[in-house]
Amino acid sequence: MNKQFLKQFKKMPMACGSLVFILIISIIAILNSMGLNLSPYAFDQTTPDALQSPSFTHPMGTDELGRDLLSRVFYGAQLSIGIGIFTAIMSFVIGTIYGAIAGYCRGKVDAILMRIVDVAYALPDLLVMILIGVMIGRGTLGILLALGLVSWRGTARLVRAQFLQLHQEEFIEAARALGQSHLDIICKHMLPNSLGPVIVAVTFTVPMAILSESTLSFIGLGLSPPACSWGTLASDGWRSLRTTPHLIFFPGIFIFTSVLAFNFLGDGLRDALDPRTKASSKQFF
Amino acid sequence: MSGLTQYSNSAESTESTVGSKLTCQAACAKSWEVLDGGTRYVFHLRDDIFWSDGKKLTAKDFEYAWQRLIDPVTGAAYAHFLYDVTNAREINQGQIKDLNQLGAKALDDLTFEVRLNKPAAYFIYLTAGPTTYPLRKDIVDAHPGRWTEPSNIVTNGAFKLDSWQHEYKIDLVANDKFFLGRPKIDKIKMFMIPEQSTAFSLYQNDQLDFIDNRSFTTSDIEQCKKDPNFKTQALLRAQYLGLNTKKAPLDDVRVRKAFSMAIDKSIFPKILRRQETPMSSWVPPVLIGYEPDSGLKFDPVQARKLLAEAGYPDGKNFPKTEVLYVSREDTKLGLEAIQAELKKNLGVRIELVNQEFKVYLTTRKMHPPQVIRASWSADFPDTDNFMNVFTSESGNNYTGFKNKEYDKCVEDARGELDSVKRANLYSRADKLLCKENAVLIPLYMATQCVLYKPWVHGIDVNALDIQNYRTAYLEGSN
Amino acid sequence: MLLRVILKRMLAMIPLLLVIATLTFMVIRVVPGGPFDQERNLPPQILANLNAKYHLDKPVLEQYWLYLGRLCHGDLGVSYKYVDRTVVDIIKDAFPVSIQLGGAGLLIAILVGVPLGTIAALRRGTHIDHLAMFVSTMGLSLPLFVVGALLILIFAIWGRILPAALWESPFHAILPAVTIAFKPMAYIARLTRASVLEILQKDWVRIARSKGLSESATIIKHVLRNALIPVVTLLGPVSAVMIAGSFVVEIIYAIPGMGRFFVTAVMNRDYDLIMGITLIFSVVLVITNTIVDVLYMILDPRISYE
Repeated sequence: MNKQFLKQFKKMPMACGSLVFILIISIIAILNSMGLNLSPYAFDQTTPDALQSPSFTHPMGTDELGRDLLSRVFYGAQLSIGIGIFTAIMSFVIGTIYGAIAGYCRGKVDAILMRIVDVAYALPDLLVMILIGVMIGRGTLGILLALGLVSWRGTARLVRAQFLQLHQEEFIEAARALGQSHLDIICKHMLPNSLGPVIVAVTFTVPMAILSESTLSFIGLGLSPPACSWGTLASDGWRSLRTTPHLIFFPGIFIFTSVLAFNFLGDGLRDALDPRTKASSKQFF
Repeated sequence: MSGLTQYSNSAESTESTVGSKLTCQAACAKSWEVLDGGTRYVFHLRDDIFWSDGKKLTAKDFEYAWQRLIDPVTGAAYAHFLYDVTNAREINQGQIKDLNQLGAKALDDLTFEVRLNKPAAYFIYLTAGPTTYPLRKDIVDAHPGRWTEPSNIVTNGAFKLDSWQHEYKIDLVANDKFFLGRPKIDKIKMFMIPEQSTAFSLYQNDQLDFIDNRSFTTSDIEQCKKDPNFKTQALLRAQYLGLNTKKAPLDDVRVRKAFSMAIDKSIFPKILRRQETPMSSWVPPVLIGYEPDSGLKFDPVQARKLLAEAGYPDGKNFPKTEVLYVSREDTKLGLEAIQAELKKNLGVRIELVNQEFKVYLTTRKMHPPQVIRASWSADFPDTDNFMNVFTSESGNNYTGFKNKEYDKCVEDARGELDSVKRANLYSRADKLLCKENAVLIPLYMATQCVLYKPWVHGIDVNALDIQNYRTAYLEGSN
Repeated sequence: MLLRVILKRMLAMIPLLLVIATLTFMVIRVVPGGPFDQERNLPPQILANLNAKYHLDKPVLEQYWLYLGRLCHGDLGVSYKYVDRTVVDIIKDAFPVSIQLGGAGLLIAILVGVPLGTIAALRRGTHIDHLAMFVSTMGLSLPLFVVGALLILIFAIWGRILPAALWESPFHAILPAVTIAFKPMAYIARLTRASVLEILQKDWVRIARSKGLSESATIIKHVLRNALIPVVTLLGPVSAVMIAGSFVVEIIYAIPGMGRFFVTAVMNRDYDLIMGITLIFSVVLVITNTIVDVLYMILDPRISYE
């Protein structure tokens, strides 16, 4: 199974390239969070050279306070990628537990839990994020909570659907007949067998979170300065598209390429796990 | 709309009035007398003013408007503007039920009399503001809760409200019957555009003729400045850091002074690029009581010394200090610069906490942190409006600063009709505030920048950011 | 049968809306700051007058009952910010605008997305396929405000062929509709591609082809008709994406729609307006999901919703 998966995956140059790209960005982010800066300037170091175009000393130019954009983009990597991955983990954990309970218990419990998901689905995402963002306040925590709260619903539905299908499988019936505990059945049999599609869905959560974070910044609910993510850099910079395009170009390119990379990675994982490429809208949400 | 008086209009005078004093001129009132040592005002109305529906304007319309403002049922947010008027406070707070007890009366159709509790040197300015504009009782009563709709509203100003799409557009048309003469342009379309860069794009594409500060970003400004039709108007809008005198480490006056002296305020016009005036005093330069050296000057050496005396040499062991602010492009840039200044000059690292506006207001009221970034826009061009902010009783004073001498200076200056004495009282109060106690760090006075097409002339923008289109006209290439 | 499903869904909407109303009501009152907080503090008595005027001086639970009572009569309350305007007034003005914008966006998304996905599937593995998928993934990979800014720059500032913003004529709707269509277009293209690929492998398509039916006839008659069924299911999530997009697009293009009013209402703590818009958005989402299910049942009779 694993070997076949790797074989399939290696056949997809886009997905492999994306994986390499994501690894590089992640290394930059990790180095940055350990205090190792790859550029000669600190991300919050102001210089008198404000709004400089890209040059040899500042490869990506400087912002209104003369801060080196390269160092800010590198610093932003840790928050953007971090927010993306943490949101994905949160959506995975909450969604899987929730969906597993609903899908395993079935009946009334399932009905109640799914009505709650219905309510969550009837509220527009951004509306929830704005309300949470305003309530919790700014900073990474508020943003993570806001994003986590809207991203688990899809995972929950997916896991539940997988579980409902698995109930009919013979090996589950067998495990039950053998008197294995509920927890064992869930953890040893049902979860591992429904993980594939869930992992694909979670991979698509990362770019969703990176983009949503930029939208929150756009509305004015972003991170506290001087901290910056690609989202805050882009939402600060997009207005100067005409006068100082480098302020939006570089953060934009990084958002674009990494979101693209995560999407390709998700596509690749899906195709590798299920070569027939099933048509289902669930994979997108 | 037009009130009893109006502010002088720079577009009508020959000399440049940028930064000069605003005075009150005749509008609906052709003249007025100040009697009884400044406690009684009698306004004589013009005989030739008509509402847009043809009815004549009388002193009764002012009486009704003022009563309605004070009536607690109206729930007017700016009712306290008239608290100087006899019985106004009592009526608004429900102690007196009879609205006719208000000290503002129509003596006859053309005479309006106002009685004050005690003299208030700034009172005349209130009659130029929109809160005291006249209203028609028959119209307000005929359309309960709907009298401001374009089809219902009746006005007496240079323009009439033609249509109003909320959060989008207001259409104004010239009022042929306007008593100071019909305005030169027939129609004005005003768009409410939430995005600065969108408005700027529309301007560049000739879809807007006139835009202001809200329509270009800091990075656009250099391009705007090249335009010969770019003008800057200094505003009475003070930007400051309020220091919490009750919270460590800023409860130590030496630390407050060190902060104040460690920020080079000349950086603001360089960073924000809108010709802001750096400030070290609280009284603005054009108002009574201003003295250039009322505040602390930039002096990093002295600042470090003071900080060391307070027990934090080179910023060592300095406790976590937070600055609360609302996220806006200019405040964020300014604060990031201040953060860098304090790090460079004192070795102190302050934390910037940005909150959404209403959350910021709640935090500021309930749990003010060490430093609050705030702004104060004048309601009327008088020093009282600024100094009142930091009295012991003020609801806008979040610094915990309570000082009897300061309160007395402000209270005495309020009714003082001798301008020299008044100026002295204010400059003393200013020194108490900015120098001796260093309760706040004045940063700069904001400006209004406007950009208009070459064919637009005669728009008047004053220091209170009131934009007057009455004298505007179009001429030249289009 | 169909009627029963629709009826059941509509009935289920009532408790759903009640829960949403309750949740939103509580959440916005927990959020710090009230509708009358402003830069300069109002004297306590004036604040009390204002609160009394809008019944905000009563206990929250009583306010809640009052609100529900009004809601039952179809009264959504008044705006605190836009004095003298009721929430119904505002929604009456703003809702048609958002519907027009969303409808135009959806049309563009379908008209571009479906052909893009079909072509990609028919040329699977070729450069055309890769290009089409790359283009549609691009739509998913940039923040909406950057897409909007780029479109304004290219078509309004440089090209001068389209208005940069505002909502004055159908002409003005083009750029915002294209911006809002970007993301759904990408979803539709990707799903169409996957769906067409699956159908192409079906035996009856091979038979139709081997019988000598022309390529275009095969595609239109047999492939697309069946392939578009799963695409219909996207309309539900797509309308949610559209609503989220409207927040950003309406701000960038200065359009007086629901999204714009919602963002301002939250910033103003305009309680009744927030509630009203949330409820309308929820109704729209529930209704589109019902329509999707009904359409799905008509298109694919094998599916039942029991």
